[in-house]
Amino acid sequence: MNSKSWGLFAAPLGILLLGLGVLFLKQHTNGVFSLPQVAQEFGYLPWLLAAILLAALIQAMLLHSRPQPDAWLFPCAMLLSSVGIVMIARLKPALLVPQIRWLIIGMLVFLAMLRMGNILKKVTQYQYLIGLACIFLLCLPIFLGTEIGGSRNWLLLGPFRVQPSEFGKILLVFFLSAYLSDHRQVLSLPNFRLFFLQLPPLRFIAPLLLIWGIAILMFVVQKDLGAALLFFGIAVLMTYMATGNKSYVFIALLFFGVAAAVSYALFGHVRVRFDIWLNPWQDPGGMAYQVVQSMFSFGSGGVWGTGFAHGHPELIPEVHTDFIFAAVAEELGLIGSLLLMLIYALFFYEGIRIALGCREEGQIFLVAGCDIVFFLQAFIIIAGVTKFLPLTGITLPFVSYGGSSIVSCFILLGVMVSLSRKERNAHG
Amino acid sequence: MGNRTIKRYVLQVAAFLLICLGVLSVYVVYLQSVAADGLAKNPLNQRSAQAEADIQRGSILDSEGRALAQSTQPGNRSYPMGESMAFVTGYFSEEIGSSGIEGYANRDLLGITEEVMRMGPVAQLFQSSRGNDVCLTIDSDAQQAAFDGLAGRRGAVVVLDVDTGAVLALVSSPSYDPNYLAGEWEAMLDREDSPLLNRALQGLYPPGSTIKPMIADIALEQGITDDHEVFECTGSLDVGGGSSIQESHGEVHGDVHLEQALVKSCNVTFGTLAMRMGAKPLKEGFQRFGFDKQTDGELQESASHLPDFLSLDMGDIAQVGIGQSMLLVTPMRMALLAAAMANDGVVMKPYMVQQVVSPTGVIVKEHRPTKWFEATTHSRANLLNEWMEEVVQKGTGTAAKVSGVKVTGKTGTAENPGGDDHAWFIGSAVIGSHRIAFSIIVENSGGGGEEAAPIARKIVLSLDK
Repeated sequence: MNSKSWGLFAAPLGILLLGLGVLFLKQHTNGVFSLPQVAQEFGYLPWLLAAILLAALIQAMLLHSRPQPDAWLFPCAMLLSSVGIVMIARLKPALLVPQIRWLIIGMLVFLAMLRMGNILKKVTQYQYLIGLACIFLLCLPIFLGTEIGGSRNWLLLGPFRVQPSEFGKILLVFFLSAYLSDHRQVLSLPNFRLFFLQLPPLRFIAPLLLIWGIAILMFVVQKDLGAALLFFGIAVLMTYMATGNKSYVFIALLFFGVAAAVSYALFGHVRVRFDIWLNPWQDPGGMAYQVVQSMFSFGSGGVWGTGFAHGHPELIPEVHTDFIFAAVAEELGLIGSLLLMLIYALFFYEGIRIALGCREEGQIFLVAGCDIVFFLQAFIIIAGVTKFLPLTGITLPFVSYGGSSIVSCFILLGVMVSLSRKERNAHG
Repeated sequence: MGNRTIKRYVLQVAAFLLICLGVLSVYVVYLQSVAADGLAKNPLNQRSAQAEADIQRGSILDSEGRALAQSTQPGNRSYPMGESMAFVTGYFSEEIGSSGIEGYANRDLLGITEEVMRMGPVAQLFQSSRGNDVCLTIDSDAQQAAFDGLAGRRGAVVVLDVDTGAVLALVSSPSYDPNYLAGEWEAMLDREDSPLLNRALQGLYPPGSTIKPMIADIALEQGITDDHEVFECTGSLDVGGGSSIQESHGEVHGDVHLEQALVKSCNVTFGTLAMRMGAKPLKEGFQRFGFDKQTDGELQESASHLPDFLSLDMGDIAQVGIGQSMLLVTPMRMALLAAAMANDGVVMKPYMVQQVVSPTGVIVKEHRPTKWFEATTHSRANLLNEWMEEVVQKGTGTAAKVSGVKVTGKTGTAENPGGDDHAWFIGSAVIGSHRIAFSIIVENSGGGGEEAAPIARKIVLSLDK
């Protein structure tokens, strides 16, 4: 286990070394090296070394603390982060140092989360407070928000731009796992029937309905469809995990269908997104430009890809955030895109394994919920950029550029890893 | 305990999500394999154009390595010889596309090959940031001499190496300057003298008397005459139906042998021969000399227009015998006729790209001369070539004479509905160890001996270095 877990670090290190090496050589195809220029190019090196040292330190801590927490998820996250760093270095060199800095901050938050395992347990007692905090956080941008890239889901805090929904989703997972573990019995003992649906009394599902509705409503107003889909998916899947009652799923889908139809009828931006999905070729140079360019990326990449740094993913606007998967697909081909999807599948599998290893219901829900957040985000954005589903802007966990996204990913990771330790402790 | 059922539900959710991911991955496989080609080649996809723009196009060089087209700055192409070489190099521009060698050898100039493109990222190892050079058979001196000889008049010149089929000069006039074409595009399209038309390969003209060596060859092959028969030229030939063929300028040649008839370009003799042989041998003769073929590749030629021989009346058959009627040919075709006579009846396949050389000097492609067809026999070709030498020595083509060089030729003065006669001159020359054939046409300028033959002389002199 020990040596294998260290071996996992070879992959991200190799990706960093090869990727950044290729970029360096590409810059200097004529073989001319001038010292000041090279020194400037390697300005990111101290940051990168700091990040690598911090990662090694964390892994060493994970491996040496007793009881031992899971030592696979963190290397997995590092692998995805290294792909992100290399792609951002290639696509937006100016954002490389900020991205590494965010990674370092993320890892520090992760360390803090590991130390706070006990607090995590207590925090679930204040479920309604969390729920209210979640709603507050999500409503914040409506009053104080700034519209960036067509979505009014940003807060400007001094020099920082924060996406509250990135943190709202964490609170949602906390609220749902606490609420569901407390009310599981009532929720899964239906005592009234509506046609073929079996439902508990309305007062028990009211908070659930509230959170579904508010999530959807707010994101429709804020035009952040990706996050709305994510929140909705989290709520539905976690409810099912707690109750096993398919009626919830049915109601949720009905709810979703109605909401989708209503917002299609009422909101121009929803309609535009949907029409683009149905037929992007109607307006390939205008509204559908991003999706069409993304599709071209997949096509031009083909099976083998154009080769790292030899493609033209920069033709896609905002390629370094939401569309980074298309850049991977173009330059590393089908092989690269499938491998990346495989890493997410493995990450998800490992998360579910941790969840199943927990003894307390609340912890099972918490770990599985965090895991589902990662999975859904990856799924929604990959399906969006390939036009499998209508495009909804959301970041690819650990890979896309973005401070809020990286930090929230590490918080979720911290929850999962610290709960993996608690359980083995209980087992002795 | 309840934990177990919860864990079952968790597993159900996990299984469901992994299945979703599986479906998505199948779709990604479809997108990047089955649908990939269509997306990559979609006209709206600028990626291959971008990839090409990253590569510095190689140069187009003439037979002595002189640059005909070169990349000065990224995306900027210069054509040192300008107008005179326009129909060889063609043009290359993002706005108006490409033509000529720029279009035909685009992939060579970019250094892209189909095989390498299929290798994906490995291809980057072979892809240089500079494309290959394309070396042509063109001799810039001959090209310039021919272009200067036309002196802005409408017309065309083709010069071939008869031993290999190499194109030494390919001139069409009026021309355009590929350095500035993008800015003048609309104006060029509107001009009535069609400066964008490559007359050497795509211009169609009645051959006039330049067809006579071939008519003589058919007559000899059919055995309907020999070099002893005496034809009596009265200046006019009755072809039936109340029409007749006249000699030009009202000349009367009197008693002539076939050789003298060729040297003096006697219409009466050749009209007589055509009527005597009839439609079928004429048709077979045109096929034997390749008038039903076209050059292709870097030399995209228009199909010659042959009449439906078997339905022609006697008058039209006599007209075909002197290169008129509905007969329309390209200057390239007539150069090949001259080449056949100069090369013992054998016609080599014309080509213009000699080799493709990588930036490191490796020869990527090399043309090997190939025999195309046999137009006539060794002996008849030599006989006719000797007679054509007489045309230059003391016949209608004396303006092409160059002392110390064997020059053969045949003049033509082709009537056409567009105005004054087209001046033709086709022939061959032996310059050192090289044997060349040429065909020259100057539209609506008058007599071939006066207007076209002097250009042949300039070309021969330019090659006699």
